[in-house]
Amino acid sequence: MQFSREWLAEYVEVDGGIAEVASEDLARKLTDLGLAVELIETVRPGAVDEDTVFDLDITTNRPDCMNHIGLAREAAAALGGTLRRPTVDLPAGKESTEVTITIEEGALCRRFVAVVLEDVTIGESPDWLRRRLEAIGHRPINNIVDVTNYVLWESGQPLHAYDLSTLAGEHIVVRRATDGETLKTLDGEERKLDPDMLIIADDERPIGLAGVMGGEATEVEPTTRRILLEGAWFDPKSVRKTARKLGMHTDASHRFERGTDLEGGRWGVERAAALMLEVAGGRRVAATFDVRGESFPSLPSIPLSHSRLEAFAGTRFDRAEVAARLEAIGFTLKPNDAGWRVTPPEWRRFDVLEVADLYEEVLRTLGFDRVPAALPPSAGPDAPESPVHALRRLVRRELAAAGYAEVINYAFYGAPEESLVLPLEGDGRLIEVQNPLSDRYRWMRRNLVAGVVSNGDFNRRRNLGAVQLFEIGHVFWCDEEFEPSEAEHLAIVLGGLLGTPWERPLDFDLFDLKGILESVADLVGVELTARAVDLQGLVPGVSAQLYRDGRVVGFLGELDEGATEGFPLFIAELDLGALLPLERPRPVQIPFRHPGIAVDLTLTHPIETPYSDIADAIDSQQVEDLVGFGLEARYQGKGVPSGSVNTTIHFRYNAEDRSLTQDEVNERQTVLADFLRDRFGSGGH
Amino acid sequence: MESFDELRERFRREAASIADREAWEALRLDWLGRKKGVLRSLLARIGEVAAESRREFGAQVNELKVEVERGLEEIGDRLAAKEREASIADRRVDVTLPGRRPRRGSLHPVTRVTEEIEAIFAELGFSVAEGPEVESDFHNFEALNMPPDHPARDTQDTFFVEGGRVLRTHTSPVQIRTMLTRKPPIRIICPGRVFRFDNDLRHSPMFHQVEGLAVAEGITFGHLKGTLEAFLQRLFSPETGVRLRPSFFPFTEPSAEVDITCPFCRGEGCATCSQSGWMEILGAGMVDPRVLRNCGIDPDIYSGFAFGLGLDRVAMIRYGIPNIRLLFDNDERLLRQVDR
Repeated sequence: MQFSREWLAEYVEVDGGIAEVASEDLARKLTDLGLAVELIETVRPGAVDEDTVFDLDITTNRPDCMNHIGLAREAAAALGGTLRRPTVDLPAGKESTEVTITIEEGALCRRFVAVVLEDVTIGESPDWLRRRLEAIGHRPINNIVDVTNYVLWESGQPLHAYDLSTLAGEHIVVRRATDGETLKTLDGEERKLDPDMLIIADDERPIGLAGVMGGEATEVEPTTRRILLEGAWFDPKSVRKTARKLGMHTDASHRFERGTDLEGGRWGVERAAALMLEVAGGRRVAATFDVRGESFPSLPSIPLSHSRLEAFAGTRFDRAEVAARLEAIGFTLKPNDAGWRVTPPEWRRFDVLEVADLYEEVLRTLGFDRVPAALPPSAGPDAPESPVHALRRLVRRELAAAGYAEVINYAFYGAPEESLVLPLEGDGRLIEVQNPLSDRYRWMRRNLVAGVVSNGDFNRRRNLGAVQLFEIGHVFWCDEEFEPSEAEHLAIVLGGLLGTPWERPLDFDLFDLKGILESVADLVGVELTARAVDLQGLVPGVSAQLYRDGRVVGFLGELDEGATEGFPLFIAELDLGALLPLERPRPVQIPFRHPGIAVDLTLTHPIETPYSDIADAIDSQQVEDLVGFGLEARYQGKGVPSGSVNTTIHFRYNAEDRSLTQDEVNERQTVLADFLRDRFGSGGH
Repeated sequence: MESFDELRERFRREAASIADREAWEALRLDWLGRKKGVLRSLLARIGEVAAESRREFGAQVNELKVEVERGLEEIGDRLAAKEREASIADRRVDVTLPGRRPRRGSLHPVTRVTEEIEAIFAELGFSVAEGPEVESDFHNFEALNMPPDHPARDTQDTFFVEGGRVLRTHTSPVQIRTMLTRKPPIRIICPGRVFRFDNDLRHSPMFHQVEGLAVAEGITFGHLKGTLEAFLQRLFSPETGVRLRPSFFPFTEPSAEVDITCPFCRGEGCATCSQSGWMEILGAGMVDPRVLRNCGIDPDIYSGFAFGLGLDRVAMIRYGIPNIRLLFDNDERLLRQVDR
């Protein structure tokens, strides 16, 4: 929002003169008051009428400062000066008029002020008026419209001038629109109205959208002679609703939505009328119309305790200084023992409601830097780390330590076609974003793999030898009643050849992926079981679901891409919640003091036999002193019959109380080997 | 038959030409071999020696044997030393070849910064609170003093989903959820992802925030300043200047925009900070009493402060990433440079 320094100066009375204050200092003062000056620009540099323009970001709670007088009030107070408001000298209207004004919706239009002017001459505005509008980025149109804009930017009161001769009858009504009514607004758009919208109407039709924009049919034209000038108060919510519904935003609606000054209409209309007589001639007819709707409750009288103010701020303030600051910006103070009773000015009615608002005014006007910084007393963290936070931290560390890079993807995607793998949690519905940025961002993601697959592909295309990525994040779904649910998942994508011949390369496959998942689960003592199952989007035979305690908690497999030029990608998704509760720390097992004995066994068995069956069979034998076993090697090829595979398993025997002899281990191992060969197939050492 | 002196001379001659283990072994067999060795042959011919000279002959043979054995040992040692030397020469490596590094993974820059901030606030006595990303209008707006049709909603362009819910536009709903379920004193930070209807070079429709909340008896505006100073100086540098400017948020009163001295130029003025020497880093304020009341906390007894900052922005500053969208391209070449 732009403000002219030359224009502001007209309203600020300060010792030594406003001209002595550097623009940078003035900008600094305003910024320190919460009226952020973002840019200072010189207009017409070098000319006699050179001016400085301040570009301010005025927050939604300060509509009273969205004009030169409002801003000048704050500036004058900060500079220790006073506000000099222009006096309005409008001659009384002697003739009578037919015009009548009725407010039907007194809560939505609490005041409607109007002046009627006759015999005006539409023309160009004088230089001073054009210059000021141009300085703040407004294009002059004609003297009448320019004056309404001028007074808006001077006082904050939106005004509208109707060509009175274009009205059907001279009866103005403020009412709700009826279904089917339309209005062609000043911008040439035909607007469909409905009863939620407040309008200004004549005897036959709408002539303006209250607080938003006037109608084209009653617009001031070069031939206009009779003017009805309106300055009203419209309800913020009503204006906002109408403007939003119609997709409109105007200087007027911007202010009405934020709350205008109920007393501003009368001053604004009379000020504008006086200026119009000055720049467009003509004469005023009748007295000022000042029609009221419902009244507001009286302004609050808020108790402000000096000691509580100091306790809130955390510092001491001088009592007289506090009072002076508040009075300088229009507050009325009645002192009492504890402090004051404070009444805000009418133009702060919507903003200052209770004592916290007064604390803000005091701190803001005295300056935040008056308060010394201090740390609050604390007796350590106020709650322990949540299990899910701790788990996420552990899992991230584990994956990063194992060489995986973390990614973060958008939480939306272009499903359903991209939801390439079955969700983990039941069959809830996808959550649809109703106003997506594009179709690519229409759905809340149901799984993470869709994202990491595209990351894998992105990186594969950049000629990286290997891809090793993970993501932790929420997935979303809802039930039939749109009740949403979220779960935290882990997804991994892996593939390619990691390392050069010098580095002894690793050719990633499904078991590297399975291994990292097992390792992550093992962090918290959880064992995941994989069961072969064909899943949509994964290569048949190279995919599995992961179970914990009989429940599906994840899946892994090779991405089915058809023909691709790059290396295959292996992907997995795991519900992190399945790893809770967090059982840590787990007690360690003390190693036996005596050395153990290791033995290998090679089984030749049909390729269909799952390793898990063999492992289960070994477990079932409960061999004495067998403390562990694991896969040593798998071999297919020369020397192994087709359809069979060699599985070499290593066994570790160890006793707690003595050293085992080779003979006793051999004896047990022979029994076990016979059992396994008998059960699973043939084979020899 | 050669004399002992001749034999001695022959051994010396033959020994002098031994250069490797093979020749050494042949020499040993020639002289000490159990069947055909020179010494064995000598002893076998003892019968040809006159009886009175046999003692003398035996002593001579023994003397020669000792000499041969000693000679062979010397040559053996010499060969062993040569062999060790040769093998060391073989094992010599080029230490300037590159080491084989284990592959190091990485945390996302945003995660990295989040963890850092969590650690700082843990020291200041704040715990971490989290909540859902699909939120109710009540938790995201209404309880925060942003009723429907409030103009402040314009500043938070919102994604809506079916069922009247929204994608949270900030992590403030976690503050609300915490205040609704716990009694003061409360000291929490709420990191997490948030969504705004925005997509250009400087904005992403999804980004990350951390918000903080302290509610207790006697919390002052000075405590807000002190906490932010401590936090920002630990996050950036102890010399970092912190400045609060009055601003407006519906959920705090008073509200402040918080600037730090520009971390790139240390306040000197540079292109990044538009020569101002300052950089806007977060929003903060004293919790609005209406928000406390909405959560069943009596503002006449308790007061509090809250703040929020963009984690993506901090990550960008910290790692010199010029464009927010680079954070979500997930290019391994960038990600893997981030320290764990």
